[in-house]
Amino acid sequence: MTAADVRQPQGPASTPTPPIRRRGPSPMRRRENAAAYILITPFVVVFALFIVVPLVFSGYLSLFRDQLVGGTTFVAFDNYTRALTDSSFLTGVGRMAVFLVVQVPIMLGLALAFALLLDAGVLYLQRFIRLGIFIPYAVPSVIAALMWGYLYGPDFGPAAQIAKNLGISAPPFLSQHWMLGSIMNIVSWEFIGYNMIILYAALRSIPSELFDAAAVDGAGRVRTAWSIKIPAIRPAIILTAIFSVIGSFQLFNEPNLLRTIAPNVIGIDYTPNMYAYNLAFINRDSNYAAAIAFILGIVIMVASYSVQLSTQRKERAGR
Amino acid sequence: MTTHSAADGSVLTDSLLDRTPPRQRTRKGRAYSADKPRRSKVLTVVMFAVLLYFLIPLWWLLVASTKSNANLFSTFGLWFSSTNSLWVNIQTVFTSDNGVYLLWLRNSLVYSVVSAVGSAFLATMAGYAFAKYRFPGGNAIFSGILGAIMIPMTALTIPTYLLFANAGLTNTPWAVILPSLASPFGVYLMRVYAADSVDETLIEAARVDGAGELRIFFRVALRLLTPGMVTVLLFALVSTWNNYFLPLIMLNSPELYPLTVGLAQWQATAAGGSGSRALFSSVITGSFLSIIPLVIAFLFLQRYWQSGLASGAVKG
Amino acid sequence: MSRTTITWRRKAMGLTAGMAVAALALTACSGGSSGAKATGSAAAVSQADIDKAMKTPTKLTFWTWVPDIQNEVKLFEAAYPAITVDVVNVGQGADHYKKMRSALQAGKGAPDVAQIEFQHVQSFALGDNLLDLTPYIPATTGADYVPWVWKQVRSTDGSKIWSIPQDSGPMGQLYRDDILKAHNIAVPTTWDQFATAAKTLHAADPNVYLTNMPGNDMGQFTAMLWQAGARPFGWNGAKEVTINVASKEATKVAQYWQDLIKAGDVSVDPDFTDTWYQGLANGKYADWAPTAAWAPVFLQGTAANTSGLWRAANMPQWDASGSPVSANWGGSSDAVMKSTQNPIAAAQLALWINHDPASTLMLANKQFLFPTTNATLTNSEFSDLAPAFYGGQKVNQVFADISKTVPEDFSWLPFMDYAYSAGQESVGKAIADKGDVVGALKTWQDALVSYAKQQGFTVK
Repeated sequence: MTAADVRQPQGPASTPTPPIRRRGPSPMRRRENAAAYILITPFVVVFALFIVVPLVFSGYLSLFRDQLVGGTTFVAFDNYTRALTDSSFLTGVGRMAVFLVVQVPIMLGLALAFALLLDAGVLYLQRFIRLGIFIPYAVPSVIAALMWGYLYGPDFGPAAQIAKNLGISAPPFLSQHWMLGSIMNIVSWEFIGYNMIILYAALRSIPSELFDAAAVDGAGRVRTAWSIKIPAIRPAIILTAIFSVIGSFQLFNEPNLLRTIAPNVIGIDYTPNMYAYNLAFINRDSNYAAAIAFILGIVIMVASYSVQLSTQRKERAGR
Repeated sequence: MTTHSAADGSVLTDSLLDRTPPRQRTRKGRAYSADKPRRSKVLTVVMFAVLLYFLIPLWWLLVASTKSNANLFSTFGLWFSSTNSLWVNIQTVFTSDNGVYLLWLRNSLVYSVVSAVGSAFLATMAGYAFAKYRFPGGNAIFSGILGAIMIPMTALTIPTYLLFANAGLTNTPWAVILPSLASPFGVYLMRVYAADSVDETLIEAARVDGAGELRIFFRVALRLLTPGMVTVLLFALVSTWNNYFLPLIMLNSPELYPLTVGLAQWQATAAGGSGSRALFSSVITGSFLSIIPLVIAFLFLQRYWQSGLASGAVKG
Repeated sequence: MSRTTITWRRKAMGLTAGMAVAALALTACSGGSSGAKATGSAAAVSQADIDKAMKTPTKLTFWTWVPDIQNEVKLFEAAYPAITVDVVNVGQGADHYKKMRSALQAGKGAPDVAQIEFQHVQSFALGDNLLDLTPYIPATTGADYVPWVWKQVRSTDGSKIWSIPQDSGPMGQLYRDDILKAHNIAVPTTWDQFATAAKTLHAADPNVYLTNMPGNDMGQFTAMLWQAGARPFGWNGAKEVTINVASKEATKVAQYWQDLIKAGDVSVDPDFTDTWYQGLANGKYADWAPTAAWAPVFLQGTAANTSGLWRAANMPQWDASGSPVSANWGGSSDAVMKSTQNPIAAAQLALWINHDPASTLMLANKQFLFPTTNATLTNSEFSDLAPAFYGGQKVNQVFADISKTVPEDFSWLPFMDYAYSAGQESVGKAIADKGDVVGALKTWQDALVSYAKQQGFTVK
């Protein structure tokens, strides 16, 4: 599966997992298997109960239709075909695709730039800077959306107040045209630090031998970063990219909370996840909501997989 | 990587337990970091400008929590007003609705600590097993676990609610804690981390000593896995602390809410018809107070999670 | 089934008091098991049975978002010491309904008694979630309530009583006396005058609007349809619904506001947001029109700095010659869930707190819910209040009079959650975007019809 493949384009820094004791005698082997099963059992039980069972149940639900009058009928894949022609759902997916294509590269680009700067050790007060950028990750998205909602406020937000004093008008952050960008900003604010820390940690663990060669070459800092560091942490970059893809398509909290202050800009179908939620609780159509959630899961898998494929192709082309 | 050539396995094991994982030492000694780079004032200034972006919203939150409801809208957002209402606001936060805020705080702590410790431990056991044993079905199970990372939460939350309701678990702390125990990402991290940080020779040596497999895990591997485990624990802590959707659906009684749901509900009481209350300053002060514990946890555990990440958890 | 119910039933059976008791036992039993169909016409529960039930130790759960309703519940508990009530606020409005529907769908965890706004009563009745209160309350109860209110809580054919009215929101306007006077504008009594006043005022002071028309409040918009004579919704209690949101009358309302909005004479801020609260407090809106009877007290809390400047008046009229017509915005009731194991006690709770004179007066004066009983509306302790915020005007009296002018024949769809949500996406959005509100009515109509068909209804 996707994330497993992340590990396969092994950077030079990775150590292959050594296969264990192939030559062991059979009783030994059996004991190891038993130990392995005992060790994974608690997780697998929890995983089965709280992920697999609900998922299967949800899949089962998605094959039915439950009408307010008329009761429940088996409709096979009707809910799925309906979703594929549902403009609310498709528009939401499209909006998230735009979000992904714009926000994720900006967020990861900045995170990588900051991580490289920190790793290069060219800054004063490095620890303070690192922590300051990371701190927003500790703020729940509910609170982040609430704060930014005030900051964006067209009448009382600081931006509007400053603009008013300068005699200009502040950007209408909460308007139709700006909203997606405003949400991108909140998400970036929350997660640049998180991604930066992951990439920074990966940079710190690049083995020194790699740099010796570069030093002999007399390569500059920027070139070292470009041709040695970035390729060396490629797996970590792909990991952050995939998590960002998943996160983007699942966007819910931020738009859902901004909806309270901009109810006519953010509709109930603004993101596919919000749409599924509202289908279940407002339209009282949880069967259709389950189908929507399933299709969304497939979209996410395809998107994550193509992120990987494209980076792998690049890697191959680079060789 | 340093090689361990001591003949006596148990001595080796014991001596290693008090050491930092080998990978960290290579990092310290690397030539690149040693040749002190020249620091740049210009870049530092640029980064401080960047830092402003990250800190201004928090600054706003601090400033806003010192203001009364009226001043919140009538004074400049990024600077204090003439009267300081912080103390009054804090008192309001802690006494509103019979002091329910304290319960929310306690709930958030309990839910996130129990979930984080539980899920980190489960993930560590499973990750170690996937990394160090090759057993029938292992790869298939691991692939299944990884695929689960991509499932959108709405696909799970509603069916989970229905199942939990039938089991009588909704509106109990378990409804929030149990689903949070399954962290597929944690298993992935711990598998990578275990593959790297628990040396094969060490396990061999322990086996030669006659230790059982589980004993090896609990007595030898676990301590080596600690930095990785703390990393997973922190991620789980943050995700449960910040979780809004699951408790929103699962819980009905305000005395069971975590901070996120409680504060959002306070915020929502301002936006309704009859019986509305404008609680803006309480929501803001409550939000400000609520992020303090997590920030402290981060500062306090910084050493662990950074080494956990750096020691290979994310480098694949 | 709880222990108390079983013992109570056994005792009742032991008395062998004839058919009535047996029928009652059946009702109690079917009430206990969720999903069971109601027995046809339930015989009235005798006072003796009620007395017995009210002396049996019972614990009830009551979901409501009325702040401090604990006060009235305490009065109830004092009157019936055997009953303890657990008051739970699971959220306001939409959140509350989501939780109720989840719990009802799951078949566990639902409350005994729950607050339900008028427009949602039928949707819970459709789900067969509500207990018909007819056998549990005196047959004369209806006469104690304002007629149009009592109609809101009954089944379409009037045969069943789904809930007990708690508060209502007859509509009028609250205006800033000082601002209108400063601009020599008379309080508009017709919508024509209102439009002219809006134009004059905004031209005189570009920072001030006569009123704000939110795009996120379908409750308010629907109430305006109500006043204009539109009857957009209906349900026959079975499979047939009436959907007519783009009628002549509705179009008149939409066109009226569209013109004002396009001319820029009224603002379109979403209501109950911080921007809107500040608009009320700082004089951006000179008139909150139309608003409802719960607004006077709400405004005192929100715009305390403007005390003494506001006054109340009737809603502007479409037809200047006829007798005044108002409508209702907001208002709720307390219903008993069919799944309750203590139907008698639950029904008494719902009735008592909304019927007992002391409790209803307290609801009106302490919880600021606009009354639904005739007795409280005419009680001088309520109607003679003359708050300084309104310059000593008897605002309650103003709205009590308005309450008599609300047309009775307005009904709802059994899926108002969706209807409002779809309305906000079409009509609301057109208002907020200053766009084609009239055209949006058609979009709303189409969405409702296709949803109704999807859900198995036939549309009339």
